[in-house]
Amino acid sequence: MSILAVDNLEVSARIGTARIPVVSGLGFTLQRGSVLGVVGESGAGKSMIGRAIAQILPQGFSVTGGLSFLGQDLIGMPAEQRRMLLGRDIAFVPQEPLSGLNPVLTIGAQIDEHLARLGIGAKRARRDYALDMLNAVRLPRPADILGKYAHQLSGGMCQRVLIAMAFASRPKLLIADEPTTALDVTTQSRIVELIRDLQRSEGTSVIFITHDLRLAADISDQVLVLYAGRLAEYGPAKEIFADAAHPYTRCLQLSNPSVHASRIGLYSLPDRMPGISALGSIAGCLFGPRCPNVIDACREKTPRAVSVGEGHDVACIRSDLTARIDPPLRQAIDKKPYGASLLTVESVSKTFSMTSGIFRRTNFQAVRNINFTLQQNEFVGIVGESGSGKSTVARLLCGLETATEGKLVLAGRDVTGGDKVSRQHQRAHIQMVFQDPQSALNPRRSVASIITQAMEAAGQATWRDRLAKAEALLHEVGLPSDAALRFPSELSGGQKQRVNIARALCRAPEILVADEIVSGLDVSVQAQLLNLLLRLRSERSFSMVLISHDLAVVRYLCDRVFVMHKGEFVEAGPTADVFDHPQHPYTESLLAAVPRDFVADAARRDRRNGISPADEIV
Amino acid sequence: MLRSVFRSSRVLIGLTIVGILVVCAIFAPLIAPHDPNEQNLVSILLPPAWSEGGDPSFLLGTDSLGRDVLSRLIFGARVAMTVAVLASLGAMIVGAVLAYIAGYFGGRIDALIGRAVDVWMSFPPVILSLILMVGLGVGLRNVIFAIVAVDWTRFCRVIRSEVLVVRRKDYIAAAQLMGFSHPRVIVKEIVPATLPLLITLLSMEMGIAVIVEAILSFVGMSVSANTPAWGQMVADARQTIYEAPWNLFLPIFAIFLAVLGFNILGDGLRRTLDVRLIARGRT
Ligand SMILES: Nc1ncnc2c1ncn2[C@@H]1O[C@H](COP(=O)(O)OP(=O)(O)O)[C@@H](O)[C@H]1O
Ligand code: SF4
Ligand SMILES: [Mg+2]
Repeated sequence: MSILAVDNLEVSARIGTARIPVVSGLGFTLQRGSVLGVVGESGAGKSMIGRAIAQILPQGFSVTGGLSFLGQDLIGMPAEQRRMLLGRDIAFVPQEPLSGLNPVLTIGAQIDEHLARLGIGAKRARRDYALDMLNAVRLPRPADILGKYAHQLSGGMCQRVLIAMAFASRPKLLIADEPTTALDVTTQSRIVELIRDLQRSEGTSVIFITHDLRLAADISDQVLVLYAGRLAEYGPAKEIFADAAHPYTRCLQLSNPSVHASRIGLYSLPDRMPGISALGSIAGCLFGPRCPNVIDACREKTPRAVSVGEGHDVACIRSDLTARIDPPLRQAIDKKPYGASLLTVESVSKTFSMTSGIFRRTNFQAVRNINFTLQQNEFVGIVGESGSGKSTVARLLCGLETATEGKLVLAGRDVTGGDKVSRQHQRAHIQMVFQDPQSALNPRRSVASIITQAMEAAGQATWRDRLAKAEALLHEVGLPSDAALRFPSELSGGQKQRVNIARALCRAPEILVADEIVSGLDVSVQAQLLNLLLRLRSERSFSMVLISHDLAVVRYLCDRVFVMHKGEFVEAGPTADVFDHPQHPYTESLLAAVPRDFVADAARRDRRNGISPADEIV
Repeated sequence: MLRSVFRSSRVLIGLTIVGILVVCAIFAPLIAPHDPNEQNLVSILLPPAWSEGGDPSFLLGTDSLGRDVLSRLIFGARVAMTVAVLASLGAMIVGAVLAYIAGYFGGRIDALIGRAVDVWMSFPPVILSLILMVGLGVGLRNVIFAIVAVDWTRFCRVIRSEVLVVRRKDYIAAAQLMGFSHPRVIVKEIVPATLPLLITLLSMEMGIAVIVEAILSFVGMSVSANTPAWGQMVADARQTIYEAPWNLFLPIFAIFLAVLGFNILGDGLRRTLDVRLIARGRT
């Protein structure tokens, strides 16, 4: 039985007097108890689909077309009747967990209100019910959580509260918008498991929106790939991932690194998806400007979705050639011979003593007895879940924190003490690329001023010198030179991260410390940045300490990896060895949390068939 | 950013009121029709010129010693504006410098400054300034000192919590890694981020300083008796409240106008500067 039938759905935005379709011509049906994954880069219109179904569109957006839920027309039905359905039969978990919760009410009060609205239980019974709900999503100490406010919980906890609330009414349809983005693998797999469990036990249908194809393939029955608000490909999840028919799907797959596959190159999709205002100016296939298979015929008219298999539709006129799109060769030049040892970390520990009041102190050991060395041109990775102490290691290396025990030797000089001379030495040799470009770039400075801040600190440099230097660095990181005079708020996430990298390169450091620099970015942007780092290494020669909760990213870039758990390195070794044959149970659990790798399967199969000449450099 | 500030009607109204008062204060000897202390014992308690029995040469009437009320109001603006500007600047400098140090360095120094603020704020502010004035004696300089000594905490507390937010941004750490010294990080990265808040607090504080000065001069604890001040005029007018209610009403209105001007200005600045700041920081 079909729960939801979508036919020729169009969501359009009113811009001035014009109506511009953000989502257009979309159709699919969702069967009872099945999971539909919706995939695409950010801005593809994924959230719009979810919001159109749940009827919570932003101001100025309108929906046309067929949208029927259990045979009832969602668009035409009276508002009163729709309100009865939403929140009860159709539950929605919004993309930003904090925006879904009221900041001035406790979690308990909100759940209670929600349950009261659903008409569940008497006041007394509702509290017990709420506790059960929180238990079901495996939140620790639910009774405490009821008394807290949203801002006192982590993102993952808020997400779980919202999921618990969504499931409270035993909905027939759950729409989850990026419920796992920006969570570490362990939390992510816990949430996926939860949705899957509840889906199985209640027979709920789920629309799972994500930009992570691998995750979508893992959790879904069907997958819908969206490009610029149009259907690119729709079909059975496993089939799409084993045998992508649309070039966009294939390119997304090839730009996603894999934890298990040996190191083939990453496909780097050029540019960005056009924004709504640019859509009108593209003739024919909207993916044309970025498509490796584009020919003149593609520009003549918008390709219609055609069937290429049972329940498998593709909007491409040359889908038979899609499988021939190859991952690029991983150039031997990627890898430079190691040089002398640059950095030695010996039994370093860091204990924070937190002052509460003038005399009271509590101690917390964030990093415990870590050891490693780093050679010239070597890229090492540090993985672990959030809170394991990875960022503290980064800050210790850069000299933003001082070690409480142990020794740090950098380029022949002991810099453990953190005195002024050591700090200067550190600053000349190590620079950091920060995690969140939003917080790492001063919104009041222009890009050129940010990038050349080191010259400002050294004094003397004129603005003209700085501008020239900034333009050279922008060129190196692949940004146009007119970006120099823009402000961070005028850049996209990927562009901000490039500025972040350019700033770190300004003093030509020998070591870059990069803390989660691609988390939360689209795979296509991530691939561009990862390839940028490899290119920079071959051009400039530097070493890198890459900190990430994404094991695949570390596998792609790093030769050696350290697995960090509760402040300690629990496992270390060459990346391939550690990820293919983990020794420590914690490493195993991290690897187990990664969704199964259909992409790697596909790549391997291609190699077997001799289609893809992916080479391996290990 | 500046353009949108001047497009706000609140800012414009506030600036107009404050501007008029400042002009009165600066050019008092030129504008005032009489010497504010000149006594005309033949024409005491004259009503304003337009009412019955008024004298056109005393536009707003005279007080119980026959002094021209308009001239006294205009000269009174001198004390009010001097105190408003200097005392709030002083309070801002003391409070903000301590706030930047506490918020930026954190740890023990922060705990110490925080504790000092708490202790300080546990005294009722008006009582504290009265005690200070009794100890110091009257005089413009002492009034200013007393207000600074009481009100720096207001700045310190608010700005410190703002500094804590900015301090956690990665661009602060980045500036350190680029080789900026601590004072330079504070001046170049943190102060600009807190500037809108600083400006807003400053104009609010000016309104508060006007009130505090009026209270002090009302109880005779501000400037010496031969310098006209609005609070003093209110105090003087109490005895003749039935014969000459306007003598009481006019200085109160002047105080009200000054406070209103500063508050509207502060509110307008808060709306234009702060909102943009928040929107920029979050998007
Ligand atoms: N509140 C809004 N106002 C105007 N345009 C919006 C708004 N929200 C999203 N859009 C636009 O709608 C398009 C689809 O966005 P969205 O559904 O959020 O994409 P996704 O979820 O795939 O990242 C994008 O071009 C985006 O810029
Ligand atoms: S229709 Fe042409 S441009 Fe569009 S995806 Fe297919 S091959 Fe590429
Ligand atoms: Mg979205």
